[in-house]
Amino acid sequence: MQEPLNQLENTYFTLQGQIDMFSAACQTQDQRNALTTQYVQARANYWACVNKAFHDDDPQVASLTSQIAAANTALAGDVAQMGEITKVLADITNVVTIGTQLAAKVIGA
Amino acid sequence: MHELRPNGQRRRANLATYAVAFAVLTVAGGCKTSADAAAAATQLTLTASSLTGYYTALDTLLTETDQLYQIQGAINTVTPYDAQTKALVADTKAEIETREKLAAALTQLAQEYAKLSGSTASADAETDAGNLESALAGLKQTKVSMSASSVNLMKDAVGEIVTAIKERKEREASAAIDKFTAALDSWFKNEEPYYNTIGANYAGLTRSLAHTLVNKGQVDSSSFFNVALSPYGLTAQLTDPTLKAGIDTVIAGQIDQKAAALQTAQAGASTSMEKALAEMASRIHLVATDKPMAIRAAPVTLAEVQNWISLVPQIAGTASTATGSASSSSK
Repeated sequence: MQEPLNQLENTYFTLQGQIDMFSAACQTQDQRNALTTQYVQARANYWACVNKAFHDDDPQVASLTSQIAAANTALAGDVAQMGEITKVLADITNVVTIGTQLAAKVIGA
Repeated sequence: MHELRPNGQRRRANLATYAVAFAVLTVAGGCKTSADAAAAATQLTLTASSLTGYYTALDTLLTETDQLYQIQGAINTVTPYDAQTKALVADTKAEIETREKLAAALTQLAQEYAKLSGSTASADAETDAGNLESALAGLKQTKVSMSASSVNLMKDAVGEIVTAIKERKEREASAAIDKFTAALDSWFKNEEPYYNTIGANYAGLTRSLAHTLVNKGQVDSSSFFNVALSPYGLTAQLTDPTLKAGIDTVIAGQIDQKAAALQTAQAGASTSMEKALAEMASRIHLVATDKPMAIRAAPVTLAEVQNWISLVPQIAGTASTATGSASSSSK
């Protein structure tokens, strides 16, 4: 699998697998709404790129792939050691925002 | 004694000997080629049929995925099933169905492949080759950019198959089928990771939902005790919260194990399918280049593909009765 889709899959699968934990950690409706928005976007980013290709030689794709890889590592850290939900939501928003930019680069998007 | 014959008589005797030897070689060679072609046709049919089953099973997983997202949206307000995702799942399902049709068309053509070695090709073969050509035309280039070159090779090869069959040219048809099967294997190999992500998502989604329902206390775990109670015709009736919590922990572990096994089985089936396609392509190549085919049994890895294909309907609970599932434009 091309690395960009691999990273989009990583983001979505992490959110999917830990959605109960993240949801339980939310203390306000605004936080739950933010989690919903990011989860739905991460899932759409993933499905938009299944069985589609990226230009391997596009420097923007390479840069966004590196950024999302680092953001996924931060998210994995949140899963391993759940901290303040505001910080976790910021990390989720960051990784999904990069993912949306990356998904926009898929051929045919 | 022939050294006593005049030169002309000796030459005629040599020519007769060569003619008989050539006829024997031709007939023997023809029989071998026909037998190999028939064996290759059987293997191609079995492999293409398994490929059809493989795509049907993936299609079932996508139908299930659509259902699972609906359930997830119903039991957790944080994870609604939005229209965009539903459309994307339906789009992926349509792509898999296109491949299913392609594999089915190849299966039909493979059944006619053996007849190409006869003096007259079946008219059905021409129809089947045309169907395969139509199925290939259904593949959207933009959706399979990763493997566009393989798709083009397959399209070129099918064009050659159609021409060869129309002109009753057996050797050219075999060579074109050789090209097609090689390109098909390469194409499948390119797309294999995408098939596997469909399987991984299905396993992860069912795992996530199962955990949610267990955590919310909405799962009847009494069947878990069957192993101990069924010999006595008894059914568990859990009322102790501490005991139930302990069992839920065990069940959670089993869900994780089962989800991992589902994902591994699907990925294993993909690997086995690719190996079978490669094996079939190499055997077709032998026939197309007039080389003897040493192994005539079906590729051994097809058994693992068949195991997974038969497993999917057992694990898929809603596919056959689903309503409001992701529809596709290809059906």
